[in-house]
Amino acid sequence: MTRRLELDQESVERDLMRLVLTVVELLRQLMERQALRRVEQGGLTEDQEERIGLTLMLLEDRMGELCERYGIGRSDLNLDLGPLGPLLPPTE
Amino acid sequence: MTRELEYAYGVVRDTGAPDPLPPGVLGVAGGPVRAVRHRGLAVLASPVPAEEFEEGPLRARLEDLAWLEEVARAHQRVVNAAGAVGCVVPVGMATVCRGEEGLRRMLEEGHPRFTGALDRLEGRVEWGVKVYAGPVGAEAAAGGPAPAPAGAPSPPPAKASSRGLSGRDYLRRRTAQRRAQEQRWQRAEDGARLVHETLAGLAERARLHPPQDGRLSGVTDRNVLNAAYLVPHEHSEGFAARVRELADRLAGLRVELTGPWAPYSFVAPDPADRARAAS
Repeated sequence: MTRRLELDQESVERDLMRLVLTVVELLRQLMERQALRRVEQGGLTEDQEERIGLTLMLLEDRMGELCERYGIGRSDLNLDLGPLGPLLPPTE
Repeated sequence: MTRELEYAYGVVRDTGAPDPLPPGVLGVAGGPVRAVRHRGLAVLASPVPAEEFEEGPLRARLEDLAWLEEVARAHQRVVNAAGAVGCVVPVGMATVCRGEEGLRRMLEEGHPRFTGALDRLEGRVEWGVKVYAGPVGAEAAAGGPAPAPAGAPSPPPAKASSRGLSGRDYLRRRTAQRRAQEQRWQRAEDGARLVHETLAGLAERARLHPPQDGRLSGVTDRNVLNAAYLVPHEHSEGFAARVRELADRLAGLRVELTGPWAPYSFVAPDPADRARAAS
């Protein structure tokens, strides 16, 4: 399928932002997964859990704000890796 | 000298009957469809204009979705009409030959393949079955189990603001959401496997197609099974009834049944058959 190439400044900026946010979202999800696993295994103090939880919560909030500011939906944050499928799991 | 271009739809057995199609079936670009016979086979074809179907223009048109849709509909209309009166082996969409001579050459070159397919497919129909994982929350509506583990706060909707939550509450909420999501996929996959195993047992042959991409089909629910089943004509209604029965039993999954079709998915012999033929 042919897609027309639009090179106006705004859409270039937005696409770049989308790419950056996709990578940040990937890192955020990886961190979250790791954190949830460690909490499940136990061995963290309540204080540590609280701090990790707050950090992740803030990250998610910030992510939401950034997406909103650039008019990008959460489901837009993804990359099609062809035969490997999408980079991020389908949004819940 | 350029001969007229002919668009081929499918191959039937030449039974000697005057016409293997009900009268008045129009093909691609509105051309009249007729049978061109050769060595016990007949190919259904209609003339098409060169300015659209000559190799160069055709390649360009294949990117035009509206044009493709029209061609696909006409193609399917002709194949269905032929399938209603007998066995038809559909040929690939946009198969174009040069004149009746080209059509006969196609029959000649593909003779073993076409007769083999006709032998395999005679008296059989294809049913398409797709299974979709329902949208989030469908399980609850369908009476499914509540995913939240005991003691955890019930997960608020994903969009809810996390303000006012403690860090540990947030972690618990995310854990519950992840579990619910995993269970949802697990249920969807189990359901898809149950459907496929049950139906493959009833069908003569089964073929799994890659799941459909929601961005192309416009369906937002995730497609977890996209399969085709070859069923003898006399078992066709029973098969469809069985699919509906399965659909009613699977909470939170949507089962879509389409057909009966001409056996598009089974024209090519099974990879196993091909390996046997090659050895």
